[in-house]
Amino acid sequence: MRFFLTLLAACALWAMPATAQQDGGPLRLEITEGVIEPMPFAVPDLVAESAQADDFASRIARVVATDLSGTGLFREIPAQAHIGRITSFDSPVEFADWRAINAQALVTGAVSLDGAGRLVVKFRIHDVFAGQELGRGQQLVGEQDGWRRIAHKVADQVYSRITGEGGYFDSRVVFVSESGPKDRRAKRLAIMDYDGANLRYLTDDSTIVLAPRFSPTGDRVLYTSYETGFPRIYLLDVADVGRRVLPTMDGTMSFAPRFSPDGRTVLYSLTQGGNTDLYTMDIASGRSTRLTSAPSIETAPSYSPDGSRIVFESDRSGSPQLYIMEARGGEARRISFGQGRYGTPVWSPRGDLVAFTKQSKGRFHIGVMRTDGSEERLLTASFLDEGPTWAPNGRVIMFTRETQGERGEARLYTVDITGRNLRQVPTDGGASDPSWGPLQE
Amino acid sequence: MPRVNTGQIISGAAHAAVIGWVMLGGVFRSDPPQVEVVEAVAVSSEEYAAIMARQSAPEAVADVDTPEPPAEGEAAPALSSGADAAPEARPPEARDTPPPDSVPEVPARPAPAPADVADEAPALSVPAEDMAALVPETSLRPQPRPAPRVAPEPVAPSEPDVRVDDVARPEVAPEDGAEVAGEEQEATAPEEAATEIVTEAERPETPAPAASVRPRARPARAAETETAAAPAEPPVPDTDRDAVSDALAAALSDESVPAARRASGPPLSAGEKDALRVAVQQCWNVGSLSSEALATTVVVAVEMAETGRPDTASIRMLRHSGGSAQAARQAFEAARRAIIRCGADGYELPQEKYAQWRDIEMTFNPEKMRIK
Repeated sequence: MRFFLTLLAACALWAMPATAQQDGGPLRLEITEGVIEPMPFAVPDLVAESAQADDFASRIARVVATDLSGTGLFREIPAQAHIGRITSFDSPVEFADWRAINAQALVTGAVSLDGAGRLVVKFRIHDVFAGQELGRGQQLVGEQDGWRRIAHKVADQVYSRITGEGGYFDSRVVFVSESGPKDRRAKRLAIMDYDGANLRYLTDDSTIVLAPRFSPTGDRVLYTSYETGFPRIYLLDVADVGRRVLPTMDGTMSFAPRFSPDGRTVLYSLTQGGNTDLYTMDIASGRSTRLTSAPSIETAPSYSPDGSRIVFESDRSGSPQLYIMEARGGEARRISFGQGRYGTPVWSPRGDLVAFTKQSKGRFHIGVMRTDGSEERLLTASFLDEGPTWAPNGRVIMFTRETQGERGEARLYTVDITGRNLRQVPTDGGASDPSWGPLQE
Repeated sequence: MPRVNTGQIISGAAHAAVIGWVMLGGVFRSDPPQVEVVEAVAVSSEEYAAIMARQSAPEAVADVDTPEPPAEGEAAPALSSGADAAPEARPPEARDTPPPDSVPEVPARPAPAPADVADEAPALSVPAEDMAALVPETSLRPQPRPAPRVAPEPVAPSEPDVRVDDVARPEVAPEDGAEVAGEEQEATAPEEAATEIVTEAERPETPAPAASVRPRARPARAAETETAAAPAEPPVPDTDRDAVSDALAAALSDESVPAARRASGPPLSAGEKDALRVAVQQCWNVGSLSSEALATTVVVAVEMAETGRPDTASIRMLRHSGGSAQAARQAFEAARRAIIRCGADGYELPQEKYAQWRDIEMTFNPEKMRIK
């Protein structure tokens, strides 16, 4: 029977081309090679539906366009090149005018103020060449001083609708702001929007602070401070800047903290008697559990998105390398085998990749590899690149780049996981140790 | 006794005389060749040197006037020239204030920025082998240029004032003084493109090798020819039943084509199909697709007008594989944009074969486009 079916299928396959050629089947083609280039798009100023909203019409459009262009996946067609004009949010779009300037995507919108003085922003996304709307129009409402967040949310929707991936524009970054000369550098925690706007300091510069880490919900921050003379882990509330030190044993040093995906547990390194191992701490009770007990240094741990595994750095093989083990501890499996030293691994929010710092042949790199150690890919190279952190959508990595010499300064950069679109994040002065928070509610 | 003829006697005597002359007259005797004899004289080395000195000495000049020596007591001749006058030295004119030295104009230069100096001494690397230079043994492959656009064919950067277009066109402008001006045409060129993404870490600082490679010794003749290992046979998936059902479904699907829409006439040649494929893939931009959409293959159907333009409303996704419905939607939208954009002016298709390309099914498979 099986042989008969196979023979029948072979006969059918043999006859099919003849059918297509002779009896009128469609012409069949396979397209396997295309191009990778930024998609041209246009964002004309929003239509101001009230005089009071006129001030926001252009500013919101500019932030949306800047967000999309900054991804490297889109290229804005400037307003000077526009032929068509959007004068009403509900009027049909003359797609021919936008096709003429090769805009493949068009974002139209309107802004007004409601009775409570809040901004009301409506927008639509159009596929210009298909001559139709992508999805349905949406409306956002927010306070006037939150107009940038509204613009970021519009950009997130556009990005998500066209690419199929989640956005990352309405997110914040906590980092260490640096100022002063290299030998007397003052450091304090700061928080800002992903694009450097709305900078706010969380601590003063009276003590050294290191390695801040956002909670999964973005409302708390873990960081290491030398306030007591020894490195200790602190928990800070972003809203009221209240903080407390997490309980650890006296005479020990605790550092490199990171939240578990549910936000209830802290994973950290603790040095006692010259040996550094990994621990977890239940935040509510303050009770710690030891995960490793090797004579080597285990540090820089990071949870997988589902919280079931931990990737960390260890020199048990003689040089710092990356290892993965179960979240409750146990046998660790080495995943990095390339030449050089590996450190500061961070699990991708998608769960498929691990970002890391690599030192090889006198240069530092930010790279990614699969969680089994395969497909290692170095994305950057410089005098000093370190400390990667993932954007909420797992598509972009932010890291610290420090320049060489007495006047060397640390700055924040972003790079796409394909290695394209390397950009500096605008900050007021030096900046290091970024931690990219989640999309805001 | 026979009689002796007189003639015979005369003949015998004549032969005897000839033979005797030959034998005794020296007819066959050759004289020895005459040898030229030169008389040689033994000369000693001193005599030879004297002979050579005589040959090289200049000829003596006869009849040379020899001045007579002056007679004793004769007065010395008077000098016709006077005594040399000392040159008049003119003292330099003294000035009260010497003019200031002119200072050449030196263009102002910005102070050089302080160079960053590494505190650490560079580490000396010891070559592991006795080689002249540790350089690649083969020439470096040309590195792809980091261009913002990735395409199957690399494109060199165009002139800065040339508009980017899918087709390269030369500029046409009216010449000065021309009475009849031709139709003006703006110069266009395809956008700069590379064939793959090059990260900062992969970009070499200089593509040229620092030194040439020492030629390698000729390898010894192999004792026996190596035989390449036969590739392992790919595993045969147990999907016969799926293949059967797919093939039957595909074959049966053609039954649903109305007879009126069935193609007739000569089929498209392979070149004509390739031209259409290339035209579509030039506009198939997957740069803004998600990772999942880049793993999704979509089959798109489109109906074409006789002008070669696609009927936009007819473009639909028949099926997809490899991704979620949302990813398939993104992939389909990118495919639809490609068909419409590059077909805006009509694809170049043979009119006489319209029945063959009126209905087209295009399979967009992005497998090669994931990471290049």
